[in-house]
Amino acid sequence: MTLASLTRPWRAFSYGFLDASAKREMRRKMIKAVAVPGCQMPYASREVPIARGWGTGGLQVTLTLVNPKSVVKVIDQGADDSVNAASIRRFLTRVSGAGATNDTLAASLIQSRHRIPEEKLRADQILILQVPNPEPLRPVEPNMSAARQMHADADYGRLWLTLYEQIVRSGRVMQGASYPSMVNGRHVMSPSPIPRWDVPKLHMADHLTILSAGREKRIFAVPPHTRVEPLVFDDVPYRVEDHAGLTCARSGLTGYFMNEIPQDGGGSAHEVSDSELGVKAIRRAEGEDPEIGATWYVDGEMQR
Amino acid sequence: MAYVATRGGERAIEQAERMYRAQTGRITPSRVKEIGAALPALVDRVMGEASLYAPDLAALALAQSGGDLYEALLLLRAWRTTQPRLQVAEPVAADEGFTHRRISAAFKDIPGGQILGPTLDYAHRLLATQVLEGEAYKPAAVTPAATPAPARHPSLAAWQVAQGLVEPPMADPVDRDAIPDLTREPLLFPAKRAHTLQSLARADTGGTLALGYSAMRGYGTAHPTVNELRLSEVEVRVRHPRGVTFSAGRVKTSQAEVVTTKGKDRLRLGFAATLGWNEVKVISAATLDLNSPGAPKNSPVNEEFFLYHTEPVESSGFCIHFKLPHYVTFQSSLDALRGAQAKKEAPTPAKTEETA
Repeated sequence: MTLASLTRPWRAFSYGFLDASAKREMRRKMIKAVAVPGCQMPYASREVPIARGWGTGGLQVTLTLVNPKSVVKVIDQGADDSVNAASIRRFLTRVSGAGATNDTLAASLIQSRHRIPEEKLRADQILILQVPNPEPLRPVEPNMSAARQMHADADYGRLWLTLYEQIVRSGRVMQGASYPSMVNGRHVMSPSPIPRWDVPKLHMADHLTILSAGREKRIFAVPPHTRVEPLVFDDVPYRVEDHAGLTCARSGLTGYFMNEIPQDGGGSAHEVSDSELGVKAIRRAEGEDPEIGATWYVDGEMQR
Repeated sequence: MAYVATRGGERAIEQAERMYRAQTGRITPSRVKEIGAALPALVDRVMGEASLYAPDLAALALAQSGGDLYEALLLLRAWRTTQPRLQVAEPVAADEGFTHRRISAAFKDIPGGQILGPTLDYAHRLLATQVLEGEAYKPAAVTPAATPAPARHPSLAAWQVAQGLVEPPMADPVDRDAIPDLTREPLLFPAKRAHTLQSLARADTGGTLALGYSAMRGYGTAHPTVNELRLSEVEVRVRHPRGVTFSAGRVKTSQAEVVTTKGKDRLRLGFAATLGWNEVKVISAATLDLNSPGAPKNSPVNEEFFLYHTEPVESSGFCIHFKLPHYVTFQSSLDALRGAQAKKEAPTPAKTEETA
């Protein structure tokens, strides 16, 4: 027996790029994050071959979970073909040999920036959200160690105050995306920055969602069947974006989150933000029969 | 439709990268060699910020990125993080290194002497335009001193400790193999001393200078005096599994110790060190270290503030990420804005319509 027969030949990089020690840490921190829903777990956050702020947190999670049998879908702003989504998808398949898809129903791992697909996710799918800023308290407390203490004390008074001040000043809550939400009745999280439209999709969902901020080195999770409740006052209900009545100019879909496209000569057209759902609708209209899964929203109304 | 094309993203990014690479062309071993030989200061700076002492790899990264420092750094960091951590080397004391340059501004002369060493400090910064006219610039040869300076120099702080001017450094009870490693664990606050020094060692030179300079101008409380600035080469001594300790090679290091007289009854020191020779960085980093004890929260000399904001890979990455499409979050805010506008224009709404 020679030494060479006991070892594998040298390779420039490990399977899935990250080395075993990095993956082990990721697995441990993911388990911790699942165990304490919504609580931010610090992790080392290795450098990866894309720039920080470009999905490195999500990428480290996906690289840890991916295997040759995985089918990955990567979206940015709802679109599979957005340039950075294309770049991440290419990297993932290149280092893991996993399959790639645009179809939400066919994916086992979905890495996303800023959106949750409109088709309902299943228990066998994992959603990985890229997070720029994991800290819901950042606007009221930029110092991370102080904010950490506030989470420990469940001290969220200043967040409530901010929402109250918005109502006093503007007549409504002005928070756009990333609406602060209470997870499992204990930790307030900043949901990626997904639009308000998508936050109810996390509540009591069948799928696991892992949120990972590579630059800020924090990971948190919403396990399946976990309460996710946006912070609201009893007399001021939560309100999603006013998109229920909009129609996609390309696919004819109505009742989903839309992109607004400014038009020459004033006015706006809209197109459905979940690009693959739009593609499926167009293919249907052209006589094909792509499978369209059940959607969270039907006719612009969230289904419970 | 080039930015978020319906089905053109993959091709677009491929071609965009090719356009960039067309500017720099073929990368040959001789080009990498030339970069390493001609730009030692740049190679040192990149190695320090990458926390990877590998002059050839640093030169290659510079060639590959076309001189974009943040890109070069990311290439090196992303490579470094995949490499196994085999050993923790023996600690190096200040007086053990082979000292090339060592100066103190605190005293006219110091034990061991002031050694100027290689520096441009007293050069007249005149562009050698004759080179562009075809005449090579040949630096004059160094005339060796009659008696060479000693290779090793005592630490000035050790003298100050002996004089009772400086608090003796606290013994660190951490076992050598258990020294916290910033590249393997997150930075949390209050930071471990090892994390602070490691973080400063790999900090962005420009960022460290900006925040350090703000402290020097008065946004910090302590004005730095350079107690000792040292450029050395030190042996990386590692243990063979058989128990023998041997040198795996030499690395260039810079270290700065700055001092303030604004202590209670003793001098206070600030310290920073990095791989490679980079004087601006270690002096400004040591100034930040000097000013950080008890600094107000959210001030530039607060440890959390300067360590987070001088991380070059994170700060540069986040800055350029703003080029990515943000139209979903923008749409979400626009919706709230239009809702508020509509509310303002509507005549006093009925109580039942009050929603957020």
